[in-house]
Amino acid sequence: MIKMENVVKRFGENTVLSDVSFEAKEGEIFGLLGPSGAGKTTIINILTNQLDSDGGYHETGAKMLDIGLMLDTDGLYIRLSCIENLNIFADIYGIPRKRALEALKSVGLEESAKKAVNALSKGMRQRLALARAIMHEPKVLFLDEPTSGLDPASARGIHKLIQRLCDNGATVFLTTHNMEEAVKLCNYVALLHKGRIIEQGPPAEICKRHNAIKTVLDLEAVFIKLTGVELE
Amino acid sequence: MRSTKAIFAKQAKDMSKNPMVLVMFVIFPAVALVMTQIIAKPNDDIPNNMFVTMMSAIFAGMGLITATSAIFAEDIERKSLRFLIIAGVKPQQYLAGTGGFLLLAGTATSAVFALIGDFDIKEALKFLAVMITGTAGSIILGAAIGMLSKNQQAATAFGLPVSVIVGFTPMVAAFDEKIAKAAGIFYTQQINVVVNDFSVSLAKPMLVITANIVVFTGLFVFAYLKNGLKG
Repeated sequence: MIKMENVVKRFGENTVLSDVSFEAKEGEIFGLLGPSGAGKTTIINILTNQLDSDGGYHETGAKMLDIGLMLDTDGLYIRLSCIENLNIFADIYGIPRKRALEALKSVGLEESAKKAVNALSKGMRQRLALARAIMHEPKVLFLDEPTSGLDPASARGIHKLIQRLCDNGATVFLTTHNMEEAVKLCNYVALLHKGRIIEQGPPAEICKRHNAIKTVLDLEAVFIKLTGVELE
Repeated sequence: MRSTKAIFAKQAKDMSKNPMVLVMFVIFPAVALVMTQIIAKPNDDIPNNMFVTMMSAIFAGMGLITATSAIFAEDIERKSLRFLIIAGVKPQQYLAGTGGFLLLAGTATSAVFALIGDFDIKEALKFLAVMITGTAGSIILGAAIGMLSKNQQAATAFGLPVSVIVGFTPMVAAFDEKIAKAAGIFYTQQINVVVNDFSVSLAKPMLVITANIVVFTGLFVFAYLKNGLKG
């Protein structure tokens, strides 16, 4: 469903993506793994048409309105309440406002519905951004570092929600530098380093291929073996 | 239409909670009211609507440019526009919703000025005609400044000198004929000319204001092509 074939992106002289190819199948959780600056956000920006590529082919297999997006910057209206933020998007999507409340409930923020965004913690803001991304029940969901900076309990809550969305048929494309998260959540992962895909496949297969199975699958060991670089 | 209405409603709700922007629509008529009641009305040497003339030109120039550039720069800086565009909002719908709301708010403030100035119907209509056209010009200029600025601080740094020149020139022009002649190219000076003497023809002021709008639209198109709305 989500596909990139030999995609190239340059910023001036600097080539940030080189021949990037992968495919995420419908209904799966696809993880794009790599350290900061590897090109993960650039790939999301290209797939969501916020940025043009300089070569290659890409598609998401969904109309723009069937896409949900959560970026590293939340873009929330800080003076408005949680529910007011979601109601704006309910009106734009032309869906009933009760769906905004349901989305808030699904991320556990119903009690903070009337709180202004600037009074929320980082974790709560991330959950609100996720609620905005899923409220119109998108077929494809792009999540850029969805749990970065969150405490383990909040991260677990978001993991459960992502799994639930996938069970309901959504294709989830997430970027992370948290290998444990990738092993736990993703059906398929691609390892990105300096703008190149250096390995891809189901996490278990990748770890097996590189003899990196301890008591749990050790994707991080694979990444270090392939690149010599440790993830922060 | 649905998206434009949603953006319009968002801007209305957001402005009601944003004192920095809200004050721009309140302070100038408030000052005009107080000065008219305390200074102009009891003093026979001062025309009754002197402060309305002064403050309405400053509002049209300074207040609206500052408010519009702040709103655009904030939405771009916080990347809120990216999410709107992903949700299917077209740039022209965002511009129509935001510009439409600011035009309505500017018109409401202009109507308050007309009430403070105690204008008769004919004068009020003339006043509103130049104010609404001037408001449209300020919104276009403010939007261009907002788009050319990377963040709200830059919008203030860039917009303040522009709005001070455009907004205060009519006041300075009152003291010097040469400055008054030069200031004639600004739409705010034309607002001043009409409000000072309602018997003048609207043709020349409206022509100058329209010419200003054409120039601002050119700047707006340049800013849009250069930076767009995504930030």
